[in-house]
Amino acid sequence: MTREEILYDLRNKFKDNIIEVFDKSPTRVYIEIKPDSIVQVAGYIFKDLKARFNTASGVDARYHMEILYHFLIEDINLLISLRVKLQKPKLEVDSLSLIFEGSSWIEREMHEILGINFRGHSDLRRLLLPDDWPDGVYPLKRDYKEWDKNAIRDRGV
Amino acid sequence: MNIKLKALLKSPWVFHLSTGSCNNCDIEILDCLTPRFDIERFGMLLAGSIKHADVLLITGSGNRKSIERLRRLYEQTPKPCLVVAVGECALSRGMFIDSYNCPLPIDKVIPVDVYIPGCPPKPEAIIAGVVRLIEKVKKSAAKK
Repeated sequence: MTREEILYDLRNKFKDNIIEVFDKSPTRVYIEIKPDSIVQVAGYIFKDLKARFNTASGVDARYHMEILYHFLIEDINLLISLRVKLQKPKLEVDSLSLIFEGSSWIEREMHEILGINFRGHSDLRRLLLPDDWPDGVYPLKRDYKEWDKNAIRDRGV
Repeated sequence: MNIKLKALLKSPWVFHLSTGSCNNCDIEILDCLTPRFDIERFGMLLAGSIKHADVLLITGSGNRKSIERLRRLYEQTPKPCLVVAVGECALSRGMFIDSYNCPLPIDKVIPVDVYIPGCPPKPEAIIAGVVRLIEKVKKSAAKK
């Protein structure tokens, strides 16, 4: 399938789920979808369009939390980024780790760093943060405050 | 000068530890070992294990996880040992000073003998720093 066919196909199939399609460049498309339909759309792109799941990225955008799932269709060199906006303060979305195992670790990382809860993830342990990190403190959230009383924040000159 | 110190300064073996650096300092340290700069003429060799080393060479802004490893490595180093901090990150954490994961500078964790600034420091600066360190130790030993 060509690039146009894929976009037409997605627009048709997920009429009710797609909020916005942003055609950035010949190799890059952002598709904003409703959070409830992420499993359906991502499953279709992964299984039927034979895309490779690159990674996901989370952004704290002041009024909402945003997750971008990046899929690459290698035959036509098209990177599709599925954008999901989660309204604060309820940060919950369905886990994709049941469809493809590869999303398991990046979901763990987003869970510990941004505090997003992934429904259905089998093992939401910490991935990168140290063991003595306090619970409920998420370092890349906008409302993060320094919790460590022993930390030194000057250069000593 | 006692025999221990003399042996230490004659050919200091170096153990290179990166506590989460961007690898630029590490590349400059490897540059020191190439024939162009040839740090071996001062008897310096990179040691594979901390238990064989006299000098602990640190790069990178220590983060919460690597600081624990750094402490453990320093305990294992045969004493007397010298500690060299290379690069801006190891000196004062550079741009990572406000990072949630870098609470302490290296020199608050273990005692540091010589600081080599730069981002990254040139191989010449690293060699000059280490040579100066050796001279400093020699002088302070001669006074005693």
